[in-house]
Parts: sequence; structure tokens; C-alpha cells
Amino acid sequence: MNKLNVNFLGINFDNPILTSSGCFGFGLEYKDYFNPNELGGIVLKGLTLEPRTGNIGTRIAETPSGILNCVGLENPGIDVLEKEIIPNLKKQGINTKIIVNINGSTVEQYVEIAKRVNEIKEIDMVELNISCPNVKDGGMAFGANPEVAGKTTREVRKVLNKPLIVKLSPNVTNIVEIAKIVEENGADAISMINTLLGMRIDINKGTPILGNTFGGLSGPAVRPVAVRMVYQVAQNVNIPIVGMGGINSWEDAVEFIMAGATMVSIGTGIFPNPLLPLEVKEGLNNYCIKNNLKNLQDIKGIAFKK
Amino acid sequence: MFLEDCVVLENNKISDSYYLLKLKGEKSISSAKPGQFYMLQCKNESTLLRRPISLHYINKEKQIIEFYYEVKGKGTNEFKNIKPGENINLQGPLGTGFNTDIENKNIVIIGGGMGMAPMKFLTEALSPKNNVTFICGGRNKESMNILDNFNLENIKTIITTDDGSLGIKGNVTIPLLETLKNKNIYKIYTCGPQIMMKHIMNIAKKNNILCEVSLEERMGCGVGACVGCSILTKEGMKKVCKDGPVFDSKIIIND
Ligand SMILES: Cc1cc2nc3c(=O)[nH]c(=O)nc-3n(C[C@H](O)[C@H](O)[C@H](O)COP(=O)(O)OP(=O)(O)OC[C@H]3O[C@@H](n4cnc5c(N)ncnc54)[C@H](O)[C@@H]3O)c2cc1C
Ligand SMILES: Cc1cc2nc3c(=O)[nH]c(=O)nc-3n(C[C@H](O)[C@H](O)[C@H](O)COP(=O)(O)O)c2cc1C
Ligand code: FES
Repeated sequence: MNKLNVNFLGINFDNPILTSSGCFGFGLEYKDYFNPNELGGIVLKGLTLEPRTGNIGTRIAETPSGILNCVGLENPGIDVLEKEIIPNLKKQGINTKIIVNINGSTVEQYVEIAKRVNEIKEIDMVELNISCPNVKDGGMAFGANPEVAGKTTREVRKVLNKPLIVKLSPNVTNIVEIAKIVEENGADAISMINTLLGMRIDINKGTPILGNTFGGLSGPAVRPVAVRMVYQVAQNVNIPIVGMGGINSWEDAVEFIMAGATMVSIGTGIFPNPLLPLEVKEGLNNYCIKNNLKNLQDIKGIAFKK
Repeated sequence: MFLEDCVVLENNKISDSYYLLKLKGEKSISSAKPGQFYMLQCKNESTLLRRPISLHYINKEKQIIEFYYEVKGKGTNEFKNIKPGENINLQGPLGTGFNTDIENKNIVIIGGGMGMAPMKFLTEALSPKNNVTFICGGRNKESMNILDNFNLENIKTIITTDDGSLGIKGNVTIPLLETLKNKNIYKIYTCGPQIMMKHIMNIAKKNNILCEVSLEERMGCGVGACVGCSILTKEGMKKVCKDGPVFDSKIIIND
């Protein structure tokens, strides 16, 4: 029996492992290393209505056990997603769940892109990104302001006919407050965390390393912050959580589930180790067997239930 | 594209901070082309990302794969200390390499500094069927030690050094312009410092010569998944790791 199988928002997932937006391209980039259908689902790179070229200059900088990125939502736009990317995914035999990460600079743009996504039947769910730290004209501003976060969620919920996950920013004073507000306004699930705002300076030049000065920190360096936030939010909302931030092993995934996450998502960890999702899957399965669990979900949230 | 643990055969200092790493490889070798690169894994867990390093040379029969690298920061310092017998994990071959599908042409290959790395495989791939002039630029005589590892039969090789300790004193554009005067050159292939490639692209453009350049950019994934290495070209955004690292100079914005 499949011990990893999970019902998430009414949809049956083979396992709780997703790959995070921005770290797994459009689903096929890692197909030489493993079959993407082994994943519970794929979250595609953040999309906007129109194509975006992203930020200029250096976009990646390594930090201790982490990376800073300021990609700035470079993406080909929703038209290319609909006409090329999705048909190609299907042609290549991808039948795992597809989650689209949507972005906008105004509430109207979020609503518009949500309507477009409705038309694409191959998309299983939507992740509303109100937490990108790398775009000046929107992104994090939506996720840091409770009122705007609530409004964006509400307006998108009104038009969207697919399950809605809202992705939260860790760059806030009170994450529980924002989580509750998006729940009240119709989010079906919460995903967290997006990257933490940071920067590095080139000490030879005396200038910021990243083209956009600031970037988002991800990787193992952020994991303790992410686990803490999932733990706090899980106790205060009634909707499921997709936990992410620095997952680098199956043990890390177990931490997130014990903190209250239903699903786990792998981002930066796949860069050094393209086989990480498979290793996590195998590790989680062995963990269930060793601990006599009928299903991995039996340990969900035990860190605060005990 | 493969992931493979490769045994280190040799890891020798060539000059001040330049090393030649020889590995035993199997899968990683089969399809590799000049100009492609590999992502080499660091063992220290806090050094999260793999390091992109160009393919220096492949010996398919002996299953040997070679890298020529400069010790710069954390990752390459770690590589320097790897001993024969130990393993290193390779991901690759990655990217699109040089186009070597040409015959009976006059060709100039220019490597500057670390840009000498991809040129061993490239000169050997092009020289049997073409007339190759190889221009090498470096700081000093020592920086040319790597040439001992090349097979330069039938290749006209010209050396330039900044300090004049070997070959022509000055940069690679001096012998390049000279060569263009004497021969009808069909194509230039180059890899090296940005400023050098900028001049070469200008010269190629002025003389209406095809030109392929190998670029560098910071990389996250190396496979086109993170768009960390994207650059703006005349044909829109291109990923250095996947659409490159070798590009037709025509599409590079060079100002
Ligand atoms: C396609 C490609 C091929 C390359 N081929 C070679 C080669 O054959 N030999 C060689 O010596 N070097 C090569 N480089 C450059 C090499 O990748 C860097 O020198 C190396 O990553 C530095 O790592 P570090 O840990 O020593 O330095 P650190 O400064 O500690 O590195 C920090 C981060 O910055 C990145 N980085 C630093 N410098 C560069 C750079 N110049 N280009 C890209 N990323 C960089 C590192 O990968 C790492 O993620 C190549 C780069 C690219 C993009
Ligand atoms: C290069 C890169 C690009 C990213 N792009 C997006 C994006 O487009 N949309 C989004 O919601 N999150 C994006 N993220 C954030 C990740 O999805 C994830 O929330 C974060 O990196 C933390 O997880 P990790 O530590 O496992 O990477 C990006 C992260 C990285 C490293
Ligand atoms: S390094 Fe990730 S897309 Fe090129």
C-alpha cells in the first residue's frame, strides 16, 4: 500500500512531494535525471500575463548553506504557457499534478491571469504568489500588507474555478495574521515560505553583488525559519499547508510535516542534487515502514499535538 | 546529461593557481562536445552550488575526462585539495558547445587566460579537417604551461603574453589582425576575458567573419530550470547554461 499517498484539496496525490516554483523550470528540465511523474506535483515557474525579461546583472549569489537570487520573474507569459508549454508537457507524457504560480503588479492583473488559467484544463491548481521579493512593482508588497493580501486572495478566489494555494512571504512581522487573513478570504491552502530578503556586497568592488541589490535567500540556511513559521501557522488556520524552505533530505521533509505541513516542496536543494526528490520519496517511505505508520500523514503536526 | 561519481586520476598544479584535473568517467563522456561544460559538486555542505567548469579534453578510448581550472574561491579551493583515488561528482555534459561541423576552412581559435580551457578539445576537433590558427593569450610565460598538455600538430600556434616573457608582448588582437591580413578567415572561435571577447567580436563584425564566443554567467542549476544565468541578447533572453555557453556573436549585444 502507498504510505505516501495524500488527499490535498480534494485531489489525490501519489505522494506529498512537490518541486517549488522557480527551481524546476517548466517541468522538463530535469527529465534526463528522473521521471517527473515520480513527483506528487510540479509547481511551474512564476507566470505573468505578459512576458517578462526579469532583472539585469548578476542574479545568483551563494551564501553559507544558501543562495540569494534576484531573477525577477523572468517568464514567457501566459500565452506561451497555454499554447506551447502545457501541450508539450502532455506530449512528453507528464501526468503528475501541475500547479501554476501566478503573479501580477495589480489586483486586476492577478484576476486576469486567474481567468486565463481557468481555461487551461490541464492545470490542476493555482499558487497565488503574493510574496516575490524580486519585483519592484508588486510581489512582496502584496504579501506584506494584510489588507492587500486579503483583497488579492478574495478577488482571485471569486473568478478562479480551481483550488487556490496562497504563497506567503516570510518578510513580515506577523505571519499568522497574514495566514488567517488569506484563509478568511478564500484560500484553500497556504504555501510557505517564499525567500527571505537579503543582500551581499562584493568587498573588492564595494558594490552589491546582485544586479537588483537585494535578493531572496533560500536553501538550508532558511529552514529553521520556515519550520518555525509552518509550526505557528498550522496551529492557527484550518486549511492545509505546503511546507518549504531549505529541504535537503527526507529528514528535513519530516520536520515540515511534524510542524504541520500536509505537502512538502523542494526548491534550491535540487540544484546541487538533481536526484533529491527521489531520495526524499524513498526516505519518507522507509520512515513510514520503520515507524509502522499506515500513512505519512499520521505524523502531521505532532510537534504541537504532543 | 548524467550524474556520475568519477575517480580522480590526477590533480596537478600547472602554474601558480592553475590546475589540471583528470578523472575516470564513463557515462559522462559518451556524448560530450567541445565547448560544453560540467557542474562539479563541492563536498562541503555549506558550499551549496555546483561549480561550472568547461570540458578541457576527453579521451573516449581511455575514458579520461580533463578539466583545467583556476583556484579562485571556496569551491575551487576545495577541488585543489582532492587527491587521486578520491571521487568527485559530475553533472553533464551541459549546454551547447562549439559548432565543429565544418571542413576545409581557414579558422582562428583564440583562448585568453582561463579561456584556454575549452580549446584543447576544440583545436583537436577542428584541426584534422581545417586549417587552424590558434592564438593563446596569457599574463606570462607560466600561464602557457598548459600548452604542454595540448596536441598542436598541424596547428599554427601564436602566443601572446602581457609581460612579453613568451611570444608576442601584448594582447591577442595583434596576431589576430595580422592573420586576417594574410589569410581569408572563415570563422573565429573564442573564449576568454569579457574585454578580450568584446574586441574580437568587433573585429569579426568589421571583417564580416563568423564568430562563436563562449560566455560565463553565475549559475544555479546549470540545466535551464532557474533562469539565474539569463542574459539579454538581440534575440531576447537566453540561458547561458542551456542556449549557451557558446553563442553566435551576431546575437550578442556588444556595446
Ligand atoms: C560555462 C562556464 C565554464 C567555465 N569553465 C571554467 C573552466 O574551465 N575553468 C575555470 O577555472 N573556470 C571556469 N569557469 C568559471 C568557474 O565556474 C568559476 O571560477 C568558479 O565557479 C569559481 O568558484 P569558487 O567557488 O572558486 O569561487 P567563489 O567566488 O567562492 O564562488 C561563489 C559562487 O560564484 C560562482 N562564480 C564565481 N566566479 C564565477 C565565474 N567566473 N563564472 C561563473 N560563476 C562563477 C561560483 O560558481 C559560486 O556559485 C566557467 C564558468 C562557466 C559559467
Ligand atoms: C532561483 C529561484 C527562483 C524562484 N522563483 C520563484 C517564483 O517564480 N515564484 C515563487 O512563488 N517562488 C519562487 N522562488 C521561491 C521558491 O519557490 C521557494 O519558495 C524558496 O526558494 C524556498 O524554498 P527552498 O529553500 O527549498 O528553495 C524561487 C526560488 C529560487 C531559488
Ligand atoms: S543556471 Fe539555472 S537556468 Fe542557467
